[in-house]
Amino acid sequence: MEGDGIQVERRDEIAALNSSADEVSHLALDIGGTLIKMVYFSSDSDWPVDDEGKRSSKEKGSKNCNFVNGRLHFMKFETRKINDCLQFISSKQLHHYGGWHTEAPVDCKNIIKATGGGAFKFADLFKEKLEISLDKVEEMDSLVAGANFLLKAVDREAFTYMDGEKEYLQIDHNDLYPYLLVNIGSGVSMIKVDGDGVYERVSGTSIGGGTFWGLGKLLTKCKSFDELLELSHQGNNRVIDMLVGDIYGGMDYSKIGLSSTAIASSFGKAISENKEIEDYRPEDVARSLLRMISNNIGQISYLNALRFGLKRIFFGGFFIRGHAYTMDTIAVAVNFWSKGEAKAMFLRHEGFLGVMGAFMSYPNNGLDHLMSKQLVEQLPKSACCPKHEARSPLLGDLTENGSIECSVQLCL
Amino acid sequence: MAGLTEDHLHHLLGTNDINDDASKNKVDHIVVIKDTVVEREAGGAGDKEMVPVAGSSIHRSTSRPQLDLSGAAIQGNFEERDPTILLPNQSDDISHLALDIGGSLIKLIYFSRHEDRFVNDGRKRSVKGRFGVSNGVDSSCWHAEVPKNENAVIKATGGGAHKFADLFKERLGISIDKEDEMDCLVAGANFLLKAIRHEAFTHMEGHKEFVQIDHNDLFPYLLVNIGSGVSMIKVTPLLFLTVDGDGKFQRVSGTNVGGGTYWGLGRLLTKCKSFDELLELSQRGDNRTIDMLVGDIYGGMDYSKIGLSASTIASSFGKAISENKDIEDYRPEDISLSLLRMISYNIGQIAYLNALRFGLKRIFFGGFFIRGHAYTMDTISFAVQFWSKGQAQAMFLRHEGFLGALGAFMSYEKHGLDDLMVHQLVERFPMGAPYTGGKIHGPPLGDLNEKISWMEKFVQKGTEITAPVPMAPPGTTGLGGFEVPSSRGNTLRSDASNLNVGVLHLVPTLEVFPLLADQKTYEPNTIDLSDPGELEYWFTVLSGHLPDLVDKAVASEGGTDDAKRRGDAFARAFSAHLARLMEEPAAYGKLGLANLLELREECLREFQFVDAYRSIKQRENEASLAVLPDLLLELDSVLAANIFDWGSRACVDLYHQGTIIEIYRMSRKKMQRPWRVDNFDAFKERMIGGSGKKPHKRALLFVDNSGADIVLGMLPLARELLRRGTEVVLVANSLPALNDVTAMELPEIVAEAAKHCDILRGAAEAGGLLVDAMINIQDGSKENSSAVPLMAVENGCGSPCIDLRQVSSELAAAAKDADLVILEGMGRSLHTNFNAQFKCDTLKLAMVKNQRLAEKLIIGNIYDCVCRYEPATR
Repeated sequence: MEGDGIQVERRDEIAALNSSADEVSHLALDIGGTLIKMVYFSSDSDWPVDDEGKRSSKEKGSKNCNFVNGRLHFMKFETRKINDCLQFISSKQLHHYGGWHTEAPVDCKNIIKATGGGAFKFADLFKEKLEISLDKVEEMDSLVAGANFLLKAVDREAFTYMDGEKEYLQIDHNDLYPYLLVNIGSGVSMIKVDGDGVYERVSGTSIGGGTFWGLGKLLTKCKSFDELLELSHQGNNRVIDMLVGDIYGGMDYSKIGLSSTAIASSFGKAISENKEIEDYRPEDVARSLLRMISNNIGQISYLNALRFGLKRIFFGGFFIRGHAYTMDTIAVAVNFWSKGEAKAMFLRHEGFLGVMGAFMSYPNNGLDHLMSKQLVEQLPKSACCPKHEARSPLLGDLTENGSIECSVQLCL
Repeated sequence: MAGLTEDHLHHLLGTNDINDDASKNKVDHIVVIKDTVVEREAGGAGDKEMVPVAGSSIHRSTSRPQLDLSGAAIQGNFEERDPTILLPNQSDDISHLALDIGGSLIKLIYFSRHEDRFVNDGRKRSVKGRFGVSNGVDSSCWHAEVPKNENAVIKATGGGAHKFADLFKERLGISIDKEDEMDCLVAGANFLLKAIRHEAFTHMEGHKEFVQIDHNDLFPYLLVNIGSGVSMIKVTPLLFLTVDGDGKFQRVSGTNVGGGTYWGLGRLLTKCKSFDELLELSQRGDNRTIDMLVGDIYGGMDYSKIGLSASTIASSFGKAISENKDIEDYRPEDISLSLLRMISYNIGQIAYLNALRFGLKRIFFGGFFIRGHAYTMDTISFAVQFWSKGQAQAMFLRHEGFLGALGAFMSYEKHGLDDLMVHQLVERFPMGAPYTGGKIHGPPLGDLNEKISWMEKFVQKGTEITAPVPMAPPGTTGLGGFEVPSSRGNTLRSDASNLNVGVLHLVPTLEVFPLLADQKTYEPNTIDLSDPGELEYWFTVLSGHLPDLVDKAVASEGGTDDAKRRGDAFARAFSAHLARLMEEPAAYGKLGLANLLELREECLREFQFVDAYRSIKQRENEASLAVLPDLLLELDSVLAANIFDWGSRACVDLYHQGTIIEIYRMSRKKMQRPWRVDNFDAFKERMIGGSGKKPHKRALLFVDNSGADIVLGMLPLARELLRRGTEVVLVANSLPALNDVTAMELPEIVAEAAKHCDILRGAAEAGGLLVDAMINIQDGSKENSSAVPLMAVENGCGSPCIDLRQVSSELAAAAKDADLVILEGMGRSLHTNFNAQFKCDTLKLAMVKNQRLAEKLIIGNIYDCVCRYEPATR
């Protein structure tokens, strides 16, 4: 947990944050089935407290602003080790409301915004251990709010991924909406986002991360999702998939624009051969599965983007978790189906959309009007350079102890 | 669907010695082709011949005209169980055979000729073309005779067309002309959707509903072909017709998650040995054990905010994540179902998105993945409905397995099928249909003897009609898609949706009756047999009548041993049809009572009972004609009571007790007005020409029974009309059906009647009914201005009912000048056309000789009378 992350400087129009300095919350949780994501805000030690700033800052263009420096920390815990999370909160005294303000009202002091299915499930546990009440934030609301914030506030948050090359994009805030947000969890939700808090779940598919992991587990005996992903790196899907060339004697079906290496039927070769499941390498099975699912998600996403005339498709969710090959397949699918017209985009903080949104749901959290130029990101020292090799973990991946850190410096 | 496998192909090509195993397999299996046959009128000249020629034309049974399309004959020598395929030996004749050689099935379409079994006057020897489809031969062995012409070319499509080209060349000297698969698919689909009525159907929650699609409104549509992978093809009309066909198309999308994925993944996960086994497994599955449902995530609650119910699948196979189970711990049934739903649902979703994208209203699904499987269709339908919020519906095709083969057939030039119209095709279900259950196909049995022995062998072997299993009541086969089935699949037969594919008879002279108010909305059947209660009732009625009908039929052929044998075979065949329909009401497509009654007549003809009621009709005619003079004397002031048809049964009963005229008087007393439906006064006013209106110019009088009905009922009514200056055209059946009078019998009856009545004589002379010389209908009325003509035309059908979408061209021609339609008798005015609307004045007359029908249609009782007069609806 080195110092790193995003530093933010805010010089003007900081009304919200400043005026509500005493209401700024510092911790939000997204308790999923597999992972717990956490965002918390910590102020720098030299945090200037100035009550007058609250008022004066409401006047637009006021130079008399106070800088509130702080950091947004992003962390992950495994859900099954929820006690680690509890311990962390406890040790950091994060549950004591107002890490930098002690005069917060007592009655709302122990309320923490949380989202994800576990926010309900573990409510009692939090109450018991930390005397914290979890205030459940609707999942999709969180997701959208988080994505909106990150896309607007964090420089080079979005990137495309093709052939192992990552390319960061600068997105004009005024031209962000509408976009399609594809959240790939166990299942897949496709959300059309038209603005802050304005969105609609327009589609989805039940063939998602859960399918990859579930089917993969049945087919390969892998013990973990990551192991399965890892396997897929070494696989060759041609062993199991029926390719166009398999049908047309190695030739392209050029009339309809299919190359001979296009997959005609996922797992289609398993039909005609007298092989049992044991006869296939788990690597190949994992690869076929990954391509089938990524390709399908990419296709349905593109069709939905097309349907609503959405220029951008952002993919997020635990299925991706910065996995290069997954992103590559999704990107290829979108590229293929759109005939190059559309590009799949990914978010660096994709795992934290929900929790970021939950964080944003505190009233007057002060982050609403953050602009990207006001956020300065400090890359972790351990972080890789922007261009990654195809199989290297991406920025913001889990570190060994299961946490990720980015910090935001808020300057009031 | 039976597989015509690679092995079988060798048999097809006369190489059954290659594979001993297959030869053994075939032995105990009787092969029937359950095919589609299109009969085509002979030659170009034939078309012209069919132009109605009054008088003489009715003597020929021209409802099934012929086309001298010399072509392949596929003959089955059944006795030897060694049927033969005769391949073309003239290059000119080649347009009769096309193949779709797929990975697992070979589909075959052929056009063949056969003797015209309907011609019974012996005056004309005719040959008819048959055009058939076969989707594989199960355990069969077909010998092919090598054609003399080594240059023969056969159109074929499918991957195997390439693979087996050498084999065909080597064995048969036939060159395979490979047609593009997608071209064929589209051409086939276009043909079926345009040429066959109710080809398409929807399938929701286990319920099939046939859909009639307006041909002018067919395009554009999305064709989703689900093979190993899935192709989605946008089919749009061409602005200008070209030789390429009537639609262009573009593969707009597809998915690699298709039938191959289902079978491939399924095989890996379940160790099933066949696709069908895997499908079968899914019937008994419960996907909730493997799929993660919305309720699993939200503690059993719906995620109502975004419209997802608790039973919605959130993640296919998602439950396999969190549990410490291995693959062995899951039931293969559950895995299969989960897989099936995942893939079907995904296809439905992507198809809908593409339809939406291109603004296509209709999505047709076909391909081997579906193969009539109810749950698959349900799931796809559900997906389309779910995602479209009910705006779009998935549709399926009855002949979906034949799209490619039909398309290959269509690719022959000059086959003349391009401009086929739906009203020219009559689909018939041959006697083998119920036994094969849409599965087994083989060569047609052209010979009567073969048919009989075929039936007999079935009986000897104790073969049941495709093992009837109780059907799940509609609506309980699961909701498909995301929803959890409300009942387990084991109540549903795996082939519950198997559809029989009938024989298509092409009759170019059939036309749509021009006086229908709206032919698009016209539905002939009053009784829809998709209502299980109705079906069961009529099943009972027809079964009850069967012994009596067989007696009559056998007697009509002189009661010989041969006739008895044929009678038995007929009874078995027809019973089998009924049983098949009870089991699967939609097996033969959309079926009304009229179709069922016609099926019976066709079945009789199939066993060469030309006219079961011949002698009875004769006897009744004679008896009635004997009393006609008395009646005509008595009539004068009374018009009303004699206009009802006389039920032949009642008539015959009475016939033995008294004279016809006594019966007539008696029944007239019984039928006191007002009748149950009584618009007689309105009709009378119009007919007499009150309120300054001229009498009708021409009346079409659709007649019903022989005997008293025609002689004492219709002829006197005709006389009244003629007397008032209205031309009368008697419209009668082309082919016998029960005791209905046929067009061929009319001149004789009229001639006899004319002896007793000057009005009838003059009119019949004017109408050309009394002379052998041909006088055109139109000319007749002009040339003989001294009398209003009485004419007769055939209606083009051989059923006790009438479907006015398919009538003879003569009737259509005669209708052009008509301004009054009179439908008489239950068959034509109640069972069919009761609700039909016409452009001209219409009178529907019948006595309801069925309690159930009386209650249902007119809220009355048996023997109530209907006299329904409906002024023109213009």
